[in-house]
Amino acid sequence: MSCQMSRSKCARLSGALVEQLLDSVDSVLFDCDGVIWRGDQAIAGASEVINLLKEHGKKVFFVTNNSTKTRKMYADKMSSLGFNVTADEVFGTAYCCAVFLKTVCRLEGKVYLMGSNAMKQELEAVGVQQVGVGPDHVSGQQTDWANVPLDPEVKAVVVGFDEHFSYMKLNRAMQYLVQKDCLFVGTNRDTRLPLEGGKAVPGTGCLLQAVETAAQRQAQTVGKPNHFMFDCLAAQFGVERERCLMVGDRLDTDILLGSNCGLKTLLTLTGVSTVAEAEAHRDSGSAERQGMVPDYYVESIADLLPALQG
Amino acid sequence: MAGAFGFKGCQKIRGAQIRGLLEAKDFFLFDCDGVIWHGENAITGAAKVVNALIRSGKNVVFVTNNSTRPRENYVNKFTRLGFTDVMLDQIFSSSYCSALYLRDVVKVRGQVFVIGCEGLRMELLEAGIPCVEETDDPDATIYNCALAPDVKAVLVGHDDKLTFLKLAKASCYLRDPECLFLATDNDPWHPLSGGRILPGSGSLTAALEVASGRKATVIGKPSRFMFECISSQFKGVDPAQCLMVGDRLETDMLFGSNCGLDTMLTLTGVSQIEEAQEYRNSDLTTNHSYVPDYVVDTIADFLPAFEDMEEQND
Repeated sequence: MSCQMSRSKCARLSGALVEQLLDSVDSVLFDCDGVIWRGDQAIAGASEVINLLKEHGKKVFFVTNNSTKTRKMYADKMSSLGFNVTADEVFGTAYCCAVFLKTVCRLEGKVYLMGSNAMKQELEAVGVQQVGVGPDHVSGQQTDWANVPLDPEVKAVVVGFDEHFSYMKLNRAMQYLVQKDCLFVGTNRDTRLPLEGGKAVPGTGCLLQAVETAAQRQAQTVGKPNHFMFDCLAAQFGVERERCLMVGDRLDTDILLGSNCGLKTLLTLTGVSTVAEAEAHRDSGSAERQGMVPDYYVESIADLLPALQG
Repeated sequence: MAGAFGFKGCQKIRGAQIRGLLEAKDFFLFDCDGVIWHGENAITGAAKVVNALIRSGKNVVFVTNNSTRPRENYVNKFTRLGFTDVMLDQIFSSSYCSALYLRDVVKVRGQVFVIGCEGLRMELLEAGIPCVEETDDPDATIYNCALAPDVKAVLVGHDDKLTFLKLAKASCYLRDPECLFLATDNDPWHPLSGGRILPGSGSLTAALEVASGRKATVIGKPSRFMFECISSQFKGVDPAQCLMVGDRLETDMLFGSNCGLDTMLTLTGVSQIEEAQEYRNSDLTTNHSYVPDYVVDTIADFLPAFEDMEEQND
């Protein structure tokens, strides 16, 4: 039965509505950070939700902008936290970026990578070699830095989360990008990764902005809210948009992706965004901002449990 | 007198026109990189021009966004490159002015977290401003590092030893809305000789602006503050008596415009005359602030004017 689900109303999901919503979808897409876990701690009830959804015959996928793990590393982390997940159900930006470079950019040549080992592995898995990963500090004089040797086989600069970010890496990326035919791809623009205890880690968006400013060029980005990650998933699994639910904690990435792709959207409040922010978008009078208004919200995805257990 | 020569709108001037300008102005502000030198090489004739201006009784100051050296180093460089009459108090770098801003405008009480070179830290310490010591061991990460108490400002300049950890610490300090966010300058890249470039402070500042969700207060050109420092030190400077000479439209010309100074673009550096013309022809009136009043190929073009003046005096 297809219910007349109100769009972009930001309504609290509870009671009978939960079952109605779940009955109206065949696939559920989950963001990870702030939705199913925080750091290395699973959100209470999250594993039961995922496992029960699968038992109910739903397809479950994970769509994350976090580029620090390969699909296999994610699957391993999920298994250790009690989630029944296989690697091919995970769509992280390390994997999707590699797919993007290979299938959309049709990259022939190497990548200068400002990113994680996971990104290196996902690139190599699709046959793309990289240079640059790991620590890289300045030595010598300014003229040496401006004249760093450039590998002639490098045809793209790729920026993801990089704990080894340094001035020298920023410099190398910029030097490659001075060449106009060098591609420029970033995994995502998230500004920060929230941590417990009031600390926050600068996100890939910061590193990308540094490179874009120095090089005076804009990167294409692969991650949410860009629809590429959904396209990647849809191409492999043949899902119907109207029967998909996107569950996330960030209005400007997860919910916006859902809206951009015509999915139903559910905001969970265990992460970054608040209901007040969602309502502010809804009431703003700006058409552009409506994409960031979720259909529904819950305090935590554990709120789905009663409907699944009943 | 502004506009008296009728050559506004990036017109090249030479000869008698330059001489008239030199007579009308008594305060000359020069950018350094690309104007008087390229790296370790003085621009041909530049030292003669500067020395001649100073000896003829003009006020000459140097206004640079380069935050990497303390002013003492600049004096040595001037001497090394033949600019023999330049003294410490004629040099206004973004690092020196950042120290003045913290000491005199903000009157900062507490520590400053600095992302920058030794040169920047030295200027701050000389002004009596305490900087957070960098004592992280190589294995420190944002998850286990100590954050200093009482950090009242974050200052970003050119830092070739920038690490992810520094960026992370700075963004933690900036979570406190009482903690100031300052940048020595916004230049996205710096030119070196031979058409090469290096990432500038602007790129580091941009990263931190994204991380913190806040905008930095920029001390250097094109912000007015360095002119206020100059004016304060010289007990009041009349903008109408000034000529700002620079090579970069988006910093030097805009700075001049923001401070009400006449501006001159020299073509020995970053910007090309075509770029200036594009700004002049633009429909956006804000772009007109980037347009120089006058243009010369090199400041050595001032030399004939001095020779004329010398002949006159004989």
